[in-house]
Amino acid sequence: MDFDFLQPTDLDEVCKLLNEYKGKVKIISGGTDFMIDLHKDELSPEIEYIIDVSNLRDLNYIKEDDNKIIIGAGTTHNEIANNPIVNKWAPVLAKATNSIGSPQIRNRGTLAGNIVTASPAADSVPALLVLNGKVKIKTSSTTKEIPLEDFFIKPYQSKINQDELIVEISFKKPPMECKSGFKKLTRRKAVDKARLNIAVLALQNNIDEIEILRIAPGSITPTPERFEKTENILLNKRPTKELIKKAAEQVSSTMIEKSGYRWSTEYKKPVIKTMTRRILTRVLEVE
Amino acid sequence: METLSLEFKVNGQEHKLSVTPNKRLLDVLREDLNLIGVKEGCSVGECGACTVIMDGKIINSCMVLAGQAQNSEILTVEGLEKEEGKLHPLQQAFLDAGAVQCGFCTPGMLMSSYNLLQSNPDPDEEEIKDAIAGNFCRCTGYKQIIDAIKLAAERMNRQS
Ligand SMILES: Cc1cc2nc3c(=O)[nH]c(=O)nc-3n(C[C@H](O)[C@H](O)[C@H](O)COP(=O)(O)OP(=O)(O)OC[C@H]3O[C@@H](n4cnc5c(N)ncnc54)[C@H](O)[C@@H]3O)c2cc1C
Ligand code: FES
Ligand code: FES
Repeated sequence: MDFDFLQPTDLDEVCKLLNEYKGKVKIISGGTDFMIDLHKDELSPEIEYIIDVSNLRDLNYIKEDDNKIIIGAGTTHNEIANNPIVNKWAPVLAKATNSIGSPQIRNRGTLAGNIVTASPAADSVPALLVLNGKVKIKTSSTTKEIPLEDFFIKPYQSKINQDELIVEISFKKPPMECKSGFKKLTRRKAVDKARLNIAVLALQNNIDEIEILRIAPGSITPTPERFEKTENILLNKRPTKELIKKAAEQVSSTMIEKSGYRWSTEYKKPVIKTMTRRILTRVLEVE
Repeated sequence: METLSLEFKVNGQEHKLSVTPNKRLLDVLREDLNLIGVKEGCSVGECGACTVIMDGKIINSCMVLAGQAQNSEILTVEGLEKEEGKLHPLQQAFLDAGAVQCGFCTPGMLMSSYNLLQSNPDPDEEEIKDAIAGNFCRCTGYKQIIDAIKLAAERMNRQS
């Protein structure tokens, strides 16, 4: 695989090059997905230029304002997992990013790379979905923001065009009293992609009624999404063991509805049910 | 394909190399600089045999494109020896604790544990396990490696 290697120094230059070489160009950031394609010779043969954004300061930051947390596209999983702002406002994202691969992978892999690759098992995605994350995308002439839930087309395909650069991912600060959880199941402990993962964010009022509930299981639907039907089972109610059980069953039936019955269904059905039940029980503190 | 002029510091020494852009950092270290302590195992980021320290962080050198190391500072296992022929306390401890069997994982293990001890001179067992979670060893079952890191930490703390 032959290509020229470009290292623009600011975002405008990146977008200019993306536009100029449209159809023949690809971005590399942390490279943890890209390098595997390169090694397996699976990069598209049309690619003639690689644009490296891994050293761009302008893509590497975590900021907060009164309402929002804003994370630069090139921020690494380790930088996110160890960041005080993220740990304060979105521990679910800290936990999810901290579960990715290995220390070496987390030191290179970035948030934007994780979502662009669009693996159904991407760990940052369920966390960002329960935070109602938004993706800011820039071209040489436009900037737009789209909800993360609209970002995916099918497994390993996201709605990013070749001339587009993700610049940041942001979400509204959830109320401080929110509780959340992230759980993933892997084959080995370290260095593994999730087989199943799930993120939950909830807010209960002073009489325990659930005011906010967001549930996003990963790896069980073609594109990651929030399970609103499941959320509605518990919303505005006080959580009980029975309701949680019903919600967990709902998750596994929604999975079959969306993904059909596959070779992995027999395994995933009981496992996702148990994972959902456990995480809801823990987050909602049901005895 | 235009060649790329790569300037970076490796084990304290400045280098300026002309490389083809599709090379990995791993290839440049092994082939252009002959630092064959950097091992290639899986080639896909899973085994950690190719671990080096880049700008203070452990990374898999099979996951980095050569040009991405522009202006960086790299430390490989060859850079651990401070004086010619004298092992780093970690290396000595790996030998003393029987943590080296076939030795293939050792350079990567050393880099991950060196990096750990830089920021945490007195790690507990969990911290050690987390630090080497991205390094696979097919021979030792990890116990000897964990012991070696504890032993090195102890010796280094006594020295200082
Ligand atoms: C051994 C190993 C274990 C792993 N374990 C996990 C795991 O447990 N959980 C998990 O979720 N993932 C895991 N991964 C996957 C991987 O680390 C992530 O997907 C990573 O976040 C990708 O980010 P990157 O910066 O390395 O992307 P790159 O490989 O640089 O790029 C990936 C894709 O994103 C595009 N891209 C990158 N940045 C931008 C941008 N700013 N704008 C537009 N496009 C962009 C690239 O063009 C490319 O198509 C693992 C990978 C490895 C090798
Ligand atoms: S060779 Fe790089 S991680 Fe295995
Ligand atoms: S000593 Fe052989 S792989 Fe670790």
